[in-house]
Parts: sequence; C-alpha cells; structure tokens
Amino acid sequence: MSESDPPVVLIVEDEPDVAETYKLWLEGEYEVRMAQNGDEGLELLDGSVDVVLLDRMMPGLSGDEVLSRIRERELDCRVAMVTAVEPDFDILEMGFDAYLSKPIRSEQLHETVTNLLDRSEYDSMLQEYYALVEKRATLEATKSGAELAENDQYEELDDEIEEMRDGLSDTLGGIEDDDDFIATLRGLSNGEEN
Amino acid sequence: MYDLSSVVEFDALREVRPGSSILISGPAMTGKERLAYDILADGARNGDGAVVVTTSDKAEDVVTDFRELVPELNDSQLGVIDCRGEGSSGGSFEGAYVHQVSSPSDLTGIGIGITKALEGLHNSGRERGRLALVSLSTMLTYTDKKTVFKFCHVLSSRLDAADYIGVFTIDSGAHDEQTIQVIKQAFDGLIEVRDADGGGRESRVLGLSGEPTDWKRL
Repeated sequence: MSESDPPVVLIVEDEPDVAETYKLWLEGEYEVRMAQNGDEGLELLDGSVDVVLLDRMMPGLSGDEVLSRIRERELDCRVAMVTAVEPDFDILEMGFDAYLSKPIRSEQLHETVTNLLDRSEYDSMLQEYYALVEKRATLEATKSGAELAENDQYEELDDEIEEMRDGLSDTLGGIEDDDDFIATLRGLSNGEEN
Repeated sequence: MYDLSSVVEFDALREVRPGSSILISGPAMTGKERLAYDILADGARNGDGAVVVTTSDKAEDVVTDFRELVPELNDSQLGVIDCRGEGSSGGSFEGAYVHQVSSPSDLTGIGIGITKALEGLHNSGRERGRLALVSLSTMLTYTDKKTVFKFCHVLSSRLDAADYIGVFTIDSGAHDEQTIQVIKQAFDGLIEVRDADGGGRESRVLGLSGEPTDWKRL
C-alpha cells in the first residue's frame, strides 16, 4: 500500500442493492471494486486489493470456497466475511480476518475496514521489526561486547529497534480484541513458509 | 504490580508491571519449568488467575500437580492449554478449563485456547493473572524462530491488554546462540538459571529494571 493511493476494497456480493450501498459508504475513502459472484471476485482479486468484503451465501462459488481459494493464492489481503449468523471461535479458525453480521450499518463497515488495514500495518511492522531484531542478534552472536560497543551499525540498529517497538505498541494499542488476537495469530501461521 | 520476589528473591522482581513478559532461560534440568509453575502458584494463592500452555505435560497432570501446589485453588481459577497434539477439543478437568490443541505449531488453536481460558477467568471475576508457556523450545522444533518470535510478541500484547504477566521457558542448550538472542528480544525481562559450582542452582535477572543483577543461589 503506497501512501498516495487509497486502499483498495473488493466487494463480493450477489445482491446489487446491498453491494451498491457498501460502495456508497466506502468510495470516498477507498478505491472500490465490485463483483457479483465468487468467480468474478477471484478475477478482480490481485496484489493491490487490501480488504475483501465477502458475502458468505452466494449462488455458484460460496464465500467459504472463495476464501479458501484466496488463502491458496497467498495474497496479502484481509477478508471480512459477511454472514447472516454470528460465528463463534470455531468459525474464526476457518481463516477469515473479521466477520460482519447482516444487516451492516455504515459505521460498522468503516470500523471493520479501518481495523483490518491497521492490522495489516501491524503485521508489516512486526515483519520489519523482526528483520531488525534478527540482524542485531546476528551481530550479538558473532561479535564481542567490546566490538559491539564501538560498532556504529549496532548502535543505529538499537535506536531503530527502540523506535519500531514504540511504533508497534502505538499502531494497534496492543491486541485488545479477541478476534484481533486470533486473526493475527492465524496470519503468523500462514506466513510461516516466508 | 506483581511481586515475584517471594518466588525468586530479587529486588528487580518486587514490582513487575502488569503486561510484562518474562523469559526463563537455562540449560536442561535446571528447574525452569518448576520456577514458572511456582510463579503461577504463588499468584493463585493470592487469588490471581492462572493459565498454563504446555507442550510436554498432559493437561490432567498439570491440573493435578497445580492442585497439589495450591490446595486452596478455586474452580475456574486455572486454565490449561495442552498442545501436545492429542486432538483438539475443549472441556474441563477437576474444575479447571482444559483445551486441547492439535499441535505445538497450531498457533491459532493455541490462541483460541488462551482466549477461552482468559474469558473464563475474567467471567469468574479475576482481573489479575499469570500465564506460563512451557516450553518455547518445543515450539521451536515445530516451527521456525521467526514465527515463534512473532507469536511471543503478539501473545505479550494480548497479555498486556489483559493486565496479566507471562512467563515463558526456553532450554538455552537446545538452540544456537543466535536463536536465543532473537527470542530474548520478544520479552521485557529475562531470568537466567544455571547450575552453580559445587551443586545447587543460581539465577540472575536481566532487563526488568536497571542493570543485570548478580548471580544468586536459588
């Protein structure tokens, strides 16, 4: 996500009125793409999509199937499943990042999309943080304390890590929510092979 | 604040900020696990909630041992997440909440277990608590250090939101120096344990407040 472009939201929803409503709510802040069914959704999905709003009950490919295809493609996007029933933890294990119970209010939709974007930000910061920490650990494991003390690169790394650590706790203010916690962990498991 | 100094007598452990995560590191057979359980038991005696994430002991054994350590333990004061891979389910054993996770690498499953355990403790009115994860070394054999590091970071953040403290154990002899250095950095503090010359054990504390402490007999 570059700073100048608005984040991209893909709406996959078979009811045109509902899809149009979501679009109206979101289009000021986001670039919105619309798909009327699962197949079309998968066609419109590429690396630039940040958030997918996925209707669970659709004719043709179901939301669940679309979701597993998205996960197979290992795209770096967040998926909010739109369902008629409130799922419990077991369903969270299925691999979506958030759920919205129909009918959705504007405020709720905005909140969910913002939250998912924040979480992506948290993940990429955590990724970056790890890279720094690993670099520092390598230096610590290979150089003596005296060598480290006069190593400029080490000092710089220290500062960067400190800054990053503060940034991380500011970004999400910690993982407050159970859904956030579980979805973030799920993201870690998916990213294992990277 | 959490006072851990009655378990390990260091000033640095007298006032541990809620949300802190501490790594207990040392070679095999130096009592790291026991130390982690003692920290939980000490809190439980004073009414703190206790959550154990285990990769080696059966949940039922953890509950039984814990009841021996804390005879006055209340029902719903303890939650155990058993990640040895004996299937996945939730239930209870002798009043404790027990959650089975399919594998030590199933981070989502572990997260769900922890969430449910925290929820149960919260609903029974416990606003403070301690979580022990025993051990990170097993997790490191199932997944890479990057994933374990991130897992620790995310879990610490969740514990922070709950005002809990976390203690995690790692076998310092089982991993290369670099791995230990990486994992250490996911924590606010470190308790190091080692065998002392002439028998017994000693430990020191790093990172919680000020300079590393001197080695002291346990």
